[in-house]
Amino acid sequence: MEEAELVEYFRAQIRGDPDVASAVAAIRSLLEFLRRDQSETILGLRENMTQAIRRLEETDSSVAVSSGGELFLRFISLTSLEHPDLSQCKNVMIERGELFLKKISLSRGKVGKLCHTFIKDGAKILTHSSSRVVLKVLENAAADNKRFTVYVTESQPDSAGKRMAQKLRKLNIPVMVVLDAAVGYIMEKVDLVIVGAEGVVESGGVINKIGTYQMAVCSKAHNKPFYVVAESFKFVRLYPLNQQDVPDRFKYTADILKTVKDLNQEHPMIDYTPPSLITLLFTDLGVLTPSAVSDELIKLYL
Amino acid sequence: MPGADKETELSERIEAFLSELKRCGSGAGSLRGSAETARETTSLLRRITAQARWSNAGDLMEIIRKEGRRMTAGQPSETTVGNMVRRVLKIIREEYARSRGSTEEADQQESLHKLLTSGGSSEDNFRQHFTHLKANVIEAINELLTELEGTTDNISMQALEHIHSNEVIMTIGRSRTVEAFLKDAARKRKFHVIVAECAPFCQGHEMATSLSKEDIETTVIPDAAIFAVMSRVNKVIIGTQTVLANGGLRAVNGTHTLALAAKHHSTPLIVCAPMFKLSPQVSDTPFTRFSEILSKVNAHCPVFDYVPPELITLFISNIGGNAPSYIYRLMSELYHPEDHEL
Repeated sequence: MEEAELVEYFRAQIRGDPDVASAVAAIRSLLEFLRRDQSETILGLRENMTQAIRRLEETDSSVAVSSGGELFLRFISLTSLEHPDLSQCKNVMIERGELFLKKISLSRGKVGKLCHTFIKDGAKILTHSSSRVVLKVLENAAADNKRFTVYVTESQPDSAGKRMAQKLRKLNIPVMVVLDAAVGYIMEKVDLVIVGAEGVVESGGVINKIGTYQMAVCSKAHNKPFYVVAESFKFVRLYPLNQQDVPDRFKYTADILKTVKDLNQEHPMIDYTPPSLITLLFTDLGVLTPSAVSDELIKLYL
Repeated sequence: MPGADKETELSERIEAFLSELKRCGSGAGSLRGSAETARETTSLLRRITAQARWSNAGDLMEIIRKEGRRMTAGQPSETTVGNMVRRVLKIIREEYARSRGSTEEADQQESLHKLLTSGGSSEDNFRQHFTHLKANVIEAINELLTELEGTTDNISMQALEHIHSNEVIMTIGRSRTVEAFLKDAARKRKFHVIVAECAPFCQGHEMATSLSKEDIETTVIPDAAIFAVMSRVNKVIIGTQTVLANGGLRAVNGTHTLALAAKHHSTPLIVCAPMFKLSPQVSDTPFTRFSEILSKVNAHCPVFDYVPPELITLFISNIGGNAPSYIYRLMSELYHPEDHEL
C-alpha cells in the first residue's frame, strides 16, 4: 500500500464518520496497511509500519494519532514475539487487530457511563473547547434525567467552543459560551470542571487544547474538582516537566510545521496540565488517580 | 428434610444479621466496631458457601452478590460489609482460576496490555464444575478470617516506629485501632495525648478514660479548641470509618476540621486503618447521614466527614505504611473491578 493511499484511507475514515476519535481512525488505517503489506520479514514489516506512522503524523499532528500509532507498533512487537513465523503472525495480528479496534470503539461509551454518575442534579459544569468524550458524558447524564447547566469557553483560535455549544443545544442542555478570558470570573459559579484530553502523559498530566492549564490553575485556586475524561489509547510515553518540554510537532498543526520558518512567532494549539492540578481521570480502564496512570503505562511498555 | 432445615437455618441467620445491622444504624442496638462487623460478615459468607446449594463458581458468586446487595442496602454507611463481600468474590475468582490451572489472571485488571494481547475468548463464565472448589474457597475464607483477627495487632506493632518519646499526639473521638496503637507505644515510650471530644456523642471522653488507665497522660479538649492547640502538637493520629478509592477518608464528623488544622501547621496526619476498611467508592460530595439527637428540634447532624487525600500524610494498615496516592494499587489487589458494583 502506497503512503498516499494510506493518507487517503485515513482521511476517508474521518470524513465518513466525523465522530470517530482520530486515534481510532489512525489504527484502522494502519490495520489496513498491515493487511496489504507485502514484506517478507517481521523486521521489514516493522520498518514499513514505522514509516506509515510517520506519514500519518505528518498529516494529522495531534497527540492522539501519535499515541495510537505507538500503541499499534507495540501491539505488533508483542504479537511477533509470540509467533516468530511471519504468515502465521500476520493472521494472528489481523485477528487481534480487529478485536482491539472493536474494543476501543466502545471506549468512549464506557467512559461516558463511568463519569456521568459524578454529575449531580443541579450541577453547573465548566468545560473547555470541543471534546467528543465530554459530549458523550453529558449526553449520558442528560439521558439519566439530571438537570445541569454547562459553561463552555469559546476556545480561540478556532472557536471550537461554539461548535460544542451547538451540539449541546441539540441535546436540550442549557449552555452558555464564555470568553477564554472569563474563566477566572466564572469559576466561583461552577461546581466542577470536566475536560477531554488529546493525550495523557506518563506523569498523569494531560495535553489538551490551549487554555486547559489556565482552567486547571483557576479551579485549584477555587478548590473545584477538575476531572479529565480520556480513552486509554490516548496514554502516551511522554514526560514533560513544563510547557517547553512538549515536542513542537504536537504544539502546531501539520501545515504550520511544514511551511513556517520561525515557530516562535506561532501560537501553540495545546498546553500541558500537570497532574497536581487534576483530581481524577475517567478512562475505560476505570477511575484513576493521576499516579495510577504511570502504572498502566509501565504495565504496557515493560 | 435435612436439606430444607439447613436452608431455613441459613436464611434465619442472614435475617438476624440484617436486622442487627439495621438496628446498629439507628443507635438502638449495641454499638459494634467495624472489625466485629467484618468478622461476622465473613463468617456468614463462609456459612453461605458451605450450606447454600450451588454447582459452579458462577452460581456461588450470584448468591453471594445477591446477599451482599441485601446486606449493604440494610446499612449503607457500614461499608465493611460490602468490602468483605467483594473480598470473598475475589477469592472465588482466584480459586476458580487456580482450579482451571490458568497461568494468567495474576493481572485481573483491565489494562492496555490486556487489550492488546488478548486472543478474544477471554470471557469467563465461571460455569465449570470443580469438586474441590468448595473446600478451597472455604479454606481461603478461613485464611481471610485469620487475617482479620490479626489486623489490630499488626497495626499496633508498627507503633514504636512512629511515636517517639515526649511527643504530643492529637486524636479525635474513639477509634479502637488508635487506642491499641497508642497503648502499644506506651509500653516503651512516654508521651502525651490530646483527645478532641468529638461532639455530640463525645466518644473522646471514653477514649481518654481508657488511655489514662494505661498511665498515658491525656487531655480532653472541645472540638472548637483544635486549631488553637494544634501548634503544640507533633503528630495527629486518627482512625476512620472508610478509606475511599482515591485515598480520601470518610471519617467521624470533625475529622476534616482536624485535617485542615494539621495541614495549616504542617503537622503530619497519620491514619490507622486496617485493610478491610478500603472501599472502591470514590466520592467527593459531602456525606449526609443524619441521626436523631433531639426529637423536637430540627438539628442537622451529619455523622461523617469527607477528608480529601491531599490532607493525609500516611496510612498505617496491617500490611504496613502507605501514601494516599498508593491506595488505588492496594485496592486493585483486594477487589476485582467487576465487583465494585455489587
